[in-house]
Amino acid sequence: MFYRSKSSVFWTIAFPVILILIFGAIFSGGNGGKYNIHIQDLSDSQMSHKFIEALNQSEVINVIDVGKDVNISEYIRENSPTAVLIIPSNFDSAFIPGATNNTTQLKLMIDPTSTSANVITSIVISVSDHFNLAIAQGGEIITLKRTDIASEQFNFIDFFLPGIIALTTMTTTIFWTVDIQSRYRENGIFKKLMTTPLTRMEWLATQILWQLVVVFISIATILVVGIALYDVELTLDPIAILIIISSSALFSSMGMILARFIKEPETAGTAANAITFPMMFLSGTFFPLETMPEYLRAVAQVLPLTYVSDGLRDAMVYNNIVGATNSLVVVVILAMIFFLIGVAVSRWKVE
Amino acid sequence: MLGPNGAGKTTTVEILECLRSMTSGEARVLGLDVMKKAREIKYKIGVLPQDFNAFDLLTVKENIQFFGSMYDRMLDPMDLIKAMDLQEKADEYFKNLSGGLKQRVGVAIAMVNDPEIIFLDEPTTGLDPKARREVWKVIEELKKKGKTVILTTHYMEEAEILSDRVGIIDRGRFLALGSPREIIDEHGSGSHCIIANADAKCLNVLKERWPDHEIRNGNFIIPLRDKDNLVEIIYALDGSGGNYEQIQVTRPTLEDIFLRLTGRKLAEGGDTENAE
Repeated sequence: MFYRSKSSVFWTIAFPVILILIFGAIFSGGNGGKYNIHIQDLSDSQMSHKFIEALNQSEVINVIDVGKDVNISEYIRENSPTAVLIIPSNFDSAFIPGATNNTTQLKLMIDPTSTSANVITSIVISVSDHFNLAIAQGGEIITLKRTDIASEQFNFIDFFLPGIIALTTMTTTIFWTVDIQSRYRENGIFKKLMTTPLTRMEWLATQILWQLVVVFISIATILVVGIALYDVELTLDPIAILIIISSSALFSSMGMILARFIKEPETAGTAANAITFPMMFLSGTFFPLETMPEYLRAVAQVLPLTYVSDGLRDAMVYNNIVGATNSLVVVVILAMIFFLIGVAVSRWKVE
Repeated sequence: MLGPNGAGKTTTVEILECLRSMTSGEARVLGLDVMKKAREIKYKIGVLPQDFNAFDLLTVKENIQFFGSMYDRMLDPMDLIKAMDLQEKADEYFKNLSGGLKQRVGVAIAMVNDPEIIFLDEPTTGLDPKARREVWKVIEELKKKGKTVILTTHYMEEAEILSDRVGIIDRGRFLALGSPREIIDEHGSGSHCIIANADAKCLNVLKERWPDHEIRNGNFIIPLRDKDNLVEIIYALDGSGGNYEQIQVTRPTLEDIFLRLTGRKLAEGGDTENAE
């Protein structure tokens, strides 16, 4: 029946693929997550070229040259850049040895609403500081070498993938269950099922098992696409698989409970959205929890998806067995609670 | 079970099918208490619920197999398909079937566990006359096989044609129970002879001979006590030398009985549609 329904195949296979393609493109394609800075070099001197070169070497900044003769106000109006740096024409004169009283002022125009504003500002400041030090002939005492927390073979998509898997598990199971429950109730199949010896516990259990199959089809698709296109290095270890299994049960049960209180199939989708959307954004699936305000982090602590995402990331990326196991325990307990509530509230009688 | 919409037919059968909790009283199916032995009962009965639906994207055969797999015994789906005359549609998706065919699939599914009692809840509601007759044929087949069929309907002729025993139900109460004939004999007013547009000569003779007559809309109506009555009437008319347009014998129907018992017509229905 599954394969005969084109839309169910689409949502099971194509949706996760679209998700991974979009995020894969964002995080690993193009200029590799660099920030654009538009520079008008009025000085056009040896020193100004060195300065731009230094910005370029930061590997975070992508320099776009604005011609010397361009009217900068018009340029901004036409191109809406996030950051514009103007190097004054007297830039190199500041570097003439002995002429220590000379100063020069870089003009950095930033769109304060942009998330990259702070990053760009600090990079420009640090490169300037570097030059200032060089002029003052001071040596660098503190140097910095940056490496990633996890071993270096991982790229960003690897970090992102457990989030996609958690998200897919949640959306697939909740939407499917809510849809099936409300549709079967509406069209009478539920009533026919109730006339058979099938019990509501059996019905719930079979639904969860079936969801599991669908979830694994989705996840297999995600991994295949991830490996084929983005050299994803992740594998599913036993803890990750257990987390996926218990989270399927958790979210299926949640869908059952939701569907119990929604009578019309038309509103069922909306209700499922209302549940999944906040979790999607507040559970650290897309954004690290650390960037969120305190009260939102408190909210994240009570969202089941948080533990699924964390657990999968611990298991698949950080290899943090303790963290993953802790999350697994939380997810298993939640799954049991929601399953029992699901059994308790679902009616196996005509109302 | 014959009764208007809202009479309580579906409520009653759904209690017996263990689909609905009852507020008071006791109900037994095959000697088993519906409140305590629901699962056991469900193994032994077959149900075609009101507004029956099966899985759209499974074929007729697959649907029968699916529901059959829930029981401890299962008749051969192909035999059921043959019995319901669905051979040509065996591999057709359920969603592509017409209303009458869907109901036949529903009956096939209701029989899949070889049940002792089959409940058919308004199997012909919403079907066109041709499809309704198809379903009737199927029900008659069940009867021939010796199955107990409990059928609910608000179609008088359906109850009259198909039933061995009819229960007339209204506002949650049985008003009459028995074979259609018994009910008619018990609650009906007997057969009548109706003479239409008789002239004065005829009327004079008839009025004198049958003082218990009735005259309605120009029809002269005589209650028939026994078979000889009719012959006497014809002789009397013949001997009167007058003219009349038509002579007709009517027997009361279940519809008449319902009208008599409730003061309402079957089709007028009750207060609310009893869908769920």
